[in-house]
Amino acid sequence: MSNDQGNDGYGITVFRPGTPPGVKGRGMIFFIILCLIILIQAFYWLFANSVKPFVLGMPFGMFFIVLFIAIEFVVLLILYFAEAKDVSEGGGT
Amino acid sequence: MSWITVTIIIFIYLLFILFLGTAGGRGRERSVVEYIAASRNLGFFVMYFLMGGAIFSAFAYLGGPGWAYSKGAAAFYILGYCALGLVPWWLWGPRALRAGKKFKYVTQAQLFTDRFQSNALSVIIAIVSVLAFIQYITLQMKGSAYIFEIASGGRIPFWAGALIAYVVVVIYVFYGGVRGVAWTNVFQGAFMIVIAWVLGLYFAYKLYGGPSEMFRQIMDANPTHLLVGPGTKMSFAGFSSALLVSVLGFAMWPHLFMKAYTAQSEKVLKQTIVMYPTFAIFMVPVLFIGFAGIMQVTPDALGAPDRILPWMFMHLKFPAIIVGLVLAAALAAAMSTQDTITHAAGSIFAQDLVEPLKKEKHTDKEATRWIRISVVGFGAVSYLVAIFGGQTLVSLLLGAYGSIVQLLPLAVATFFWPRATKAGAICGVLVGVLFNFGIVLNFIPMFWGIHAGIQGLVLNFIVLIVVSLLTKPMDREHVQKFVTL
Repeated sequence: MSNDQGNDGYGITVFRPGTPPGVKGRGMIFFIILCLIILIQAFYWLFANSVKPFVLGMPFGMFFIVLFIAIEFVVLLILYFAEAKDVSEGGGT
Repeated sequence: MSWITVTIIIFIYLLFILFLGTAGGRGRERSVVEYIAASRNLGFFVMYFLMGGAIFSAFAYLGGPGWAYSKGAAAFYILGYCALGLVPWWLWGPRALRAGKKFKYVTQAQLFTDRFQSNALSVIIAIVSVLAFIQYITLQMKGSAYIFEIASGGRIPFWAGALIAYVVVVIYVFYGGVRGVAWTNVFQGAFMIVIAWVLGLYFAYKLYGGPSEMFRQIMDANPTHLLVGPGTKMSFAGFSSALLVSVLGFAMWPHLFMKAYTAQSEKVLKQTIVMYPTFAIFMVPVLFIGFAGIMQVTPDALGAPDRILPWMFMHLKFPAIIVGLVLAAALAAAMSTQDTITHAAGSIFAQDLVEPLKKEKHTDKEATRWIRISVVGFGAVSYLVAIFGGQTLVSLLLGAYGSIVQLLPLAVATFFWPRATKAGAICGVLVGVLFNFGIVLNFIPMFWGIHAGIQGLVLNFIVLIVVSLLTKPMDREHVQKFVTL
């Protein structure tokens, strides 16, 4: 029951004990990317609060949101396959 | 007499769903874990639609076009949160699933109650969830009532329209449990997606010659309709905070959170999260329907913005069969959300409110019966609220959301912060929920137009941390069980 951070067992525990450093690093990177995607969508008006140009028939703001939905989907897909590879190699998370 | 054809199609549809839903749960054992969590055995295909059906609600199908029609760019927030809503679930979903398998949970509150060793917490969560559910279901009922009203040319009154669809839902939830819910959602989800695309594009091309031309005309008529910020229908802070609170709160909705217990494996859960943004893409043409309405009817003639989708049909001279199918699809949207919520509300009321308050534990069979009784009771209460209550569709949903997101600190603390204590958890949730209600009821003024849920959440986290640090830590081995899942 020892803790990763080497504290008294009450510290913030983000990863399960024994998680390899590579998996932790990847987890943090994807966490940051996904947080950025959420923030970009929430604050889309900073970047794309305009009607023109029309892209794929949509006003620019709407297109921007849809574009980031597509990016989000690809990021999740990459994350999924990266994790699936760990499991098949016996790493496991 | 085309309204007769339309109404007949809708009733045939209802019968079919009733059959599908009751057949879905047939031949399964009668246990709590089967009724609530499908024996932790659902595969990807069914999970995908089960989660999707919950979001493709009357809010999406009627409220979404309504927003596009009346508030313009503010409706983009719906796309954002549909797409992002399950992303935070990557953090709690798999952990909740493992916890459920290991410690035999079937509801969200059971997890938090066990972690914080507090029946009071269970009761608080159950009350907040059931209240939020009543608000949520009320809006679905209004959605189905609109549909019947329009289909029958006003011959089926509001009270009857709300009742008919809901009785069907309650029956198959009663008999079919979560499996019945899941299988009807697969069918209803697929049906709605097809109809949404056909319609959205059809209106844009038929009435304007294409989406670009449609948006160009809207821009010429009202230059700020497709923008957010000062001078539009939604402020910058309003847009951002509504989107953030919806994303954070989405997976905290007890009916979604507890679906982590129904998944067969973590793989299935993650596949569902990966594929979930596709539902947001399905929403794009749904918004087109609302935008297409702008140049066709004035708000005064329409009455409520939520009527825009049915209105578009009735005034464009479609054959009765098509109208019937489209209205059935809109009804599917309302029903596929009603069933999940009703199922969850019954389960939560029985498991998290009744069970902890009873001295003797029920047997499994008795507990299942209690859930079924709660399902019917909840149905009756929400129906009465729908008939005698007021307010517009979307503001209701946002109001309820504000309270549900207050469960987020509990999930974070359970899985990541062993130092959190029982007192901290209870105080945090109470402060967050009371603050949110204070704002909704106008006791506390809005601060800078930021969503009440976000403000409550900040307070909630602060109280949780401060009170936890001031109180004695909980048993180390006990709390470690939850962070090492």
